[in-house]
Amino acid sequence: MTYFWPGVVALWGALFAGLASAVTYIRVERGRRDLLAFARTTYAAFATAIVASAAILMTLLLQHRFDVAYVNSYSAVDLPLHFLISTFWAGQEGSFLLWCFWGSLIGLFVWRSAKEQEAPVMVVYLSTFLGIVAILCKQSPFKLLPPPPPADGVGLNPLLQDPWMVIHPPVMFLGFASLSVPFSFAIAALWKKRWDGWITRALPWALLTFLTLGTAILMGGYWAYKTLGWGGYWGWDPVENTSLVPWLFTAALVHGMFLQRARKRHRKINLILASTAYAAILYGTFLTRSGVLADFSVHSFVDLGITGWLVGILATFIGLAAVLIAWRWRSIPTAADEDTPVLSRSVLFILGIAVFCALGCVILLGTSAPLLTRLSGNPSQVQTAFYAKTTTPAGFLLVLLAGFVPFVSWKGETLKEFGKSARRSLLVAAVLTFLSFVLGAKRGDTLILLFTAFFAADMNLRAVLRKAKNSKFAGAGGYLAHVGVGLMLAGIVVSGAYARSQRLTLPVNVPKKTGDTTLTFLRVIPGTADRKQAMEVKVDTAAGKSFYAYPKMYTNSRTGQLMANPAIKSSALMDLYVAPQEYDPGQPETIGRDVRLVKGTTTNIDGTGFTFRDFNADRSAMMRGEKTVLVLTDLTITPPDGSSHDLTVRYVFHMDGREAEAEEPDIPGVPGGKVRVMAVSPNDGAVVLRLTGVSKNPADEFHAATVESLSVDVTRKPLIALVWAGFYVMMAGGLLAFVRRAGEARRAVLEASEKPVSVGGPVPATGPAIPAHTRSPLR
Amino acid sequence: MKKGYWIAAALTLAFVGFGLTAFQKTLTPYLTFDEARKARGVVQVMGGLDKTSDRYDTSKQELSFELLDDKGHRMPVVYRGIRPGNFKDAISIVAIGRYEDGRIDAEKLLVKCPSKYQGAEVEKSYASAPAPGKAS
Repeated sequence: MTYFWPGVVALWGALFAGLASAVTYIRVERGRRDLLAFARTTYAAFATAIVASAAILMTLLLQHRFDVAYVNSYSAVDLPLHFLISTFWAGQEGSFLLWCFWGSLIGLFVWRSAKEQEAPVMVVYLSTFLGIVAILCKQSPFKLLPPPPPADGVGLNPLLQDPWMVIHPPVMFLGFASLSVPFSFAIAALWKKRWDGWITRALPWALLTFLTLGTAILMGGYWAYKTLGWGGYWGWDPVENTSLVPWLFTAALVHGMFLQRARKRHRKINLILASTAYAAILYGTFLTRSGVLADFSVHSFVDLGITGWLVGILATFIGLAAVLIAWRWRSIPTAADEDTPVLSRSVLFILGIAVFCALGCVILLGTSAPLLTRLSGNPSQVQTAFYAKTTTPAGFLLVLLAGFVPFVSWKGETLKEFGKSARRSLLVAAVLTFLSFVLGAKRGDTLILLFTAFFAADMNLRAVLRKAKNSKFAGAGGYLAHVGVGLMLAGIVVSGAYARSQRLTLPVNVPKKTGDTTLTFLRVIPGTADRKQAMEVKVDTAAGKSFYAYPKMYTNSRTGQLMANPAIKSSALMDLYVAPQEYDPGQPETIGRDVRLVKGTTTNIDGTGFTFRDFNADRSAMMRGEKTVLVLTDLTITPPDGSSHDLTVRYVFHMDGREAEAEEPDIPGVPGGKVRVMAVSPNDGAVVLRLTGVSKNPADEFHAATVESLSVDVTRKPLIALVWAGFYVMMAGGLLAFVRRAGEARRAVLEASEKPVSVGGPVPATGPAIPAHTRSPLR
Repeated sequence: MKKGYWIAAALTLAFVGFGLTAFQKTLTPYLTFDEARKARGVVQVMGGLDKTSDRYDTSKQELSFELLDDKGHRMPVVYRGIRPGNFKDAISIVAIGRYEDGRIDAEKLLVKCPSKYQGAEVEKSYASAPAPGKAS
C-alpha cells in the first residue's frame, strides 16, 4: 500500500504534536508551569497539522486526483463545485477528519477560556480527539490506488447530491466536536475538585451543540422529506437516532447547567450528564460506523476494520468518567436540604432532565436491539411502532413541564397562585383545541396532546412578551425555545395523525380525484443537462385553483439507478405531497400464438404439459334450440415440478353472434399462469387455448395495449409547516441563550484573568464570582 | 428537594419499565424460513431473490416472489405496493411482515442492491401501500 505522503505526514504530525501537547499539559499540571508555553505551542502545531491534512484532502478532491483511493471513491469530474467540496465528508475517513478539524479549531478557544483550569481541561480535550486521529492514521484517507490512475472517479451518491446534504455534515460534526468541551470541563472538575466554575464556561459550548446538532437533525429530516418520497421526515433509522440521542442528553445537560448556576446545587447531575452526553456520541459513532447494524438499517455501514478501536475509545471514556465520578462521589459538595415544594422550578427542571434522559435511554435501547438480542441468540429489531409508543408520552411530559416553567419560581408556588397565572393560557389552549376539533381533529389522544402543546406555547409566549416589555428580551431565550417546542409538538401531532394518503394510478390525460383534489398526468418532460426528467401533473383544488406539480423520476446516468423525488406544494396549512412511484410508458397490443389441442393429446410448453381430456357441453340446451351453450373443457396440467392438476375451464358460446364469454382461471402449479378457451370445434374434437405466463418466449404471449400512466402516492399533510416553524423558533431561542451565555462566559474569563492565577498550584475552592442567578417569577 | 428527586426517579423508572415492555412487544426477530413458518407476529426474513419467481399484478398492485436462503430453502412473499426500483438487481431482500397462508405478507421490504458507493442508497426500504389516513 502506498500513500500520498504529504497527507500522511500531516496526520502523523498531528498525532505526535497532540500527544506531546497532552503530555506537556500533564507536566504543567504537576507543577512545571514553565512548560505552559510549550504545551500551547504544541497544541497550535496539532491544530495546524489537522487543518493542513484537511486542506491537503480538499486540494486533492478539487484537483481530481483520482489516484487517491478516497477521491476516486466519492468524487467525479462532472460534479459542480459545491458537491465536489461535499465529497470531503462523503466517506467515513473524511467525516472523521471533519470532526477533528472542528475540534482542533474549538480547542484554540478552549485553552484561552479555561484559564486556571487550562492544563487539566486541555489534557482531556486533546485525548477526546487523539483516538480519532489515531484511527485516521490507521485508516488513512490518503491511500493511493495502484497505477495507472483512473481517468474519472466513481462519483458522489446521487441521493447526497443535494444542497442540504452539503451543509448537514459540517454542522453536525461542529456539534459533536463542541460537546467535547463540557465533557473536558466536567472531567477536569472531578479531577481538580472545582465544582462550580466550569458551568459558566462550558455552558456556551453545550448550547452550541444543542443548536448545531439540532439544526443538523432538522436538515436531515427536511432532506428526507423532500427527497426520499416516503412522505415523512423521520424514520427512526439508527443513523437518525444516534444523532437524536446525544441531542436529547445535551438538552438535559443545558437544563442541568442552568439549574446548577441558579441554585448552586445539583452538582452531581451535571457531571453525570456531561459524561453521558459525550458517551452517547461515542456510542452512536460505534453503532453506525462499526458495521454491527449492517443488516438492520436502510443505511449501509461498511466495517472498515476500526470496530476494535471504536470499542476501545468508547470503553476508555465511559470507564474514565464512571471511575472518576464514583471516586469523587462523596467529596462532591451537596447543599443542605431545603424544603422546596413540588411545584417549583427546581423540581420541574429535575423532572424535565429525568424525562430527557429516560427518553434518550429508551431510544438507545431500541436502536441497540440488534446488538442486545444477538447476545441471546436471534438478532432482532424493534418496529418503528416502538418509538411512536415510547416517545409520545415522553414528548407529552416534556411539553407539559415546559408549559409550567414560566410562571413558577425556583423556590416554588402554591397551586392557587399558579392557577391564577395559568388561567389565561388554559383558556387560549381550550379555544385552540376546540377549533382543531371543529376542523377535524377528532381523536382524543391527539386533542390532549394539542391542548398541552397550545398551553405550553402560550404560557411561554406570555413570558417572552413580558421579558420584552421589561427590556430583558436577551434573557428570554429559554422561553422562546419552549414556544417553539409547543408549536412543533402541535405540528408533529397534526401532520402525523391527520395525514391522508392515497395511491393513484393516473392514465395520461385522464383526471383522477382524490379527496377534494383532482390530478391529471399530462406528460413526461425529458431531462436536460441541468434538469432531471420530470412528470407534469396538473392539480385542480376544490377552491378552483390549479397548478402544476413536477415530481422527478430519472435514471442516474452513472449507476443506472431509478431515482424518484416527490413534488411538494406547500402552504401554511397543508402540504400536498406527490411522490412518484412508477411510470408505465404503455405498450401496443402484442399478438402471440394460441395453442390448439386435439382431444386426448398432450402439448408441452416450456416444461408444462397440457392434456385436453374432454368437452362437456350442455347438449340438451343445444337440442332445445337455446341461443346460449355452456361448454366445459377438462384439462390436466403437469407443471415442471412433477405434480398433476385437473382443471375445468368454462366457456359460454352464443349462437346469435355475440362474443363468447370465457373465464380465465389461474393455472394450478404455474404461478402467474392463466388459461382461457378461445374457440371450440366439437366436430374436430379440438380446443384453442390462450395461455398467459407459461411460455418463456415473450412472442408467444398476448398483451392488450396498455395506456401510458403514472402511479403516485398523494399525501395531504396538514400543518407540517408548523414542525419547521416550531423548530426555527426553538433554535432562535437557543441562539438567544447562546449569545447571552457566551457573553457571560467571556466576562467570567476576563474577571478570572484580573486575579492572580496559579496554574497547577492549589486553587481557590470556588470559581469566579458569578452573581447568584435567581430570576424572579413573572407575574 | 428530596421530593423532586423521588418523583423524578419514580417517573424515570416507570417510563423505562414501559419502554422495556414496548421493546419486548415490538421486537421483530430475524428468523430462518422454518422458524418464520412457526412464528406468530411480525418477523423478518432475508434471502436472495429467485429471479424466475417474481410476478407483478398491475391491476391489484401486488408483487409476489420467492426468497431463497443459502441452503436453497424457499419462502414465498407477497407485497402490496409498487414494485421497488432495481428489484431485479437485488443481492438480497429483507421482508418484514407476518407469516400467513404459507407466505410472508410483507409490510416492508429492504432491497439491497450492488453499489459502488458506501452510503445510503445501497439499501432502500419500501413500505407497503399507505392505508387511507395512515400516520407517517
